Amino acid sequence: MATQPASPSVASAPPLTSEGRRRLRRQLNNKPKARPGETLAAYLFMLPYLIVLFVFIVFVSLYGIGLSLFQLDIGFTGPVFVGLRNYQILFNQLSDPALSDFWTSMGNIIEFVVVIVIGQTALALFLAVILQNTLFAKGVFRTIFYIPALTSSVATSLIFLWFYNQNGVINYLLSLIGIHGPDWLDNTTFALPAIMILNIWTTAAAFMIYFLAALQDIPKELIEAAKLDGANRFQAFWNITVPLLRPAIFFVVALGTIGGFQMFDQAKFMTNGGPVNATLTPMLVIYNDAFQNAHFGLAAAESVILFIIIMIVTVIQRRMIDPGINKA
Amino acid sequence: MAQVTIRTATQDQPSGKALTGEKPPRRPLRGSDIIIYAFLIIFTISSLGPLFYTAISSFKTPGAVLAFPPSLLPSPWVWSNFQQIISNSLFLRWILNAFIYAGAALVLNTLFSAMAGYAIARMNFPGKEFIFTLTLAVMMIPLAVTLIPKFLVMDNLGLLNTYFALILPAMAQPFTVFLMVQFMKVLPKELEESAMIDGATRWRTFWSIILPLVKPALTAAAIVSFQAAWNDFMWPLVVLGTQNMYTLPLGLFFYKSANYTQYNLLIAASMFNTIPILILFFIFQRYFIEGATAAAVKG
Repeated sequence: MATQPASPSVASAPPLTSEGRRRLRRQLNNKPKARPGETLAAYLFMLPYLIVLFVFIVFVSLYGIGLSLFQLDIGFTGPVFVGLRNYQILFNQLSDPALSDFWTSMGNIIEFVVVIVIGQTALALFLAVILQNTLFAKGVFRTIFYIPALTSSVATSLIFLWFYNQNGVINYLLSLIGIHGPDWLDNTTFALPAIMILNIWTTAAAFMIYFLAALQDIPKELIEAAKLDGANRFQAFWNITVPLLRPAIFFVVALGTIGGFQMFDQAKFMTNGGPVNATLTPMLVIYNDAFQNAHFGLAAAESVILFIIIMIVTVIQRRMIDPGINKA
Repeated sequence: MAQVTIRTATQDQPSGKALTGEKPPRRPLRGSDIIIYAFLIIFTISSLGPLFYTAISSFKTPGAVLAFPPSLLPSPWVWSNFQQIISNSLFLRWILNAFIYAGAALVLNTLFSAMAGYAIARMNFPGKEFIFTLTLAVMMIPLAVTLIPKFLVMDNLGLLNTYFALILPAMAQPFTVFLMVQFMKVLPKELEESAMIDGATRWRTFWSIILPLVKPALTAAAIVSFQAAWNDFMWPLVVLGTQNMYTLPLGLFFYKSANYTQYNLLIAASMFNTIPILILFFIFQRYFIEGATAAAVKG
């Protein structure tokens, strides 16, 4: 957003006829002199979008926050205002987090997010750099590398359910190098890592594209100059390319974090949170509390806490990775 | 950063050529090239391998799918897995439902986002800045916050277990609106002026002058919306109640529960979810990547 001024309109400024001057002034003052007809037309054009924006996004978000202050179990009793009690219940559980589904899931997801964000960012960047240095059939390889990102979480979950079973392909490959593989998804130690691997495989492919775009924006001259100064390829990459990629890295890390914290599909599909809560995620707890236990208010409070945690983490990441873009 | 979108939009093809053209004429292979080719091969196997192997294995007999050590190729090739799946009339209904959801999301979201994008990018009206800022801001709201209240709204409207519950929230997305604004903003103002002089209405200007000029953005938006709806699992899980309304991903979930260890059926079933997207991808490859790249700009 940093480079998003109104430059195109100024560049294509019309000749200074009276009409042109008026238009230029309008643009410069940024005070549009809207004609009533135009306003009406504009709002008609936006009508379907405004319905979605205000009903299904803005209103619904506020509703969600409000809901967290109520006790609501649709079908049984009417909503009861309980203030912060839902939050109180959740924070009281912190005294013994291992007994609480919500805090157990929070522990799982933090572990999950740390691993997948590092894994997918590193792998995506690596894939992009490899592609960048490919001499022939670059487009073909780009297409091939992107394929894991296309398949739905449900399809990949089905496929990996088969790969991960005790006598599946993965354990067969491990047996070739002499490792006796576990029963991945039925093992409390390996179930979450199994989902992490699957997740990294699909997301790295998607994020690779962003790094490719960012890499193309780096002036070649900078790298050449560094090499003339005696830097080797790795030094040039580490000292020139990586710092210039900071905005892209932040973007990928932030998207990965936001998505990772809300992981649901694979956990629901492959393990349903098991074995013994080893793959329980906050979204799964929210889903269960709302749609199976009918504690809608409590579930809403859980989602607000999750949202706040995601926000805090993203802000910290921004400070650490790319403080410069604050001015955007 | 806005320019990134535009550049990829207009120069995608030339930039590929320019890149290879810029390279010094065929330098001799270096040690580092060999490493790069080694990685290219490794990642080609890791990217294609799982899907490819699954696709082939869906033609295996149930016994062969579970065999250890696994075989690479089916030893008799059989259609029985697919026959068994298709003979289930519910399964066909799930595919139909998925096409209805994804098709409606594609058409409506592309059209409505283009309309909203046109107003925001090219018309003057009070509230414009506010709506654009809001559009950017709400993209940060995670699904976690909206899931439950969105369900309750659908419940209050009496729309649970209908196509409307699926389609209404998907019919105009902030991200695609933003994409449209970015593409339309840079078109010259004179386009509308000459159209107005010719007496064209706003709608005609939008429909026959602006839209044809942003075809790449329209295609990218269409693909993004189709893919999101086609693969959507959580929202259908929440709002759909009866099996005949399930979309394919949701159907697959219940199919999985019913045929828990019959991996031959499960992997064959997963192909129905994967193949339409792969076909779309190979036809519209460029736009897929463009849609994904444009997403990078929204930060």
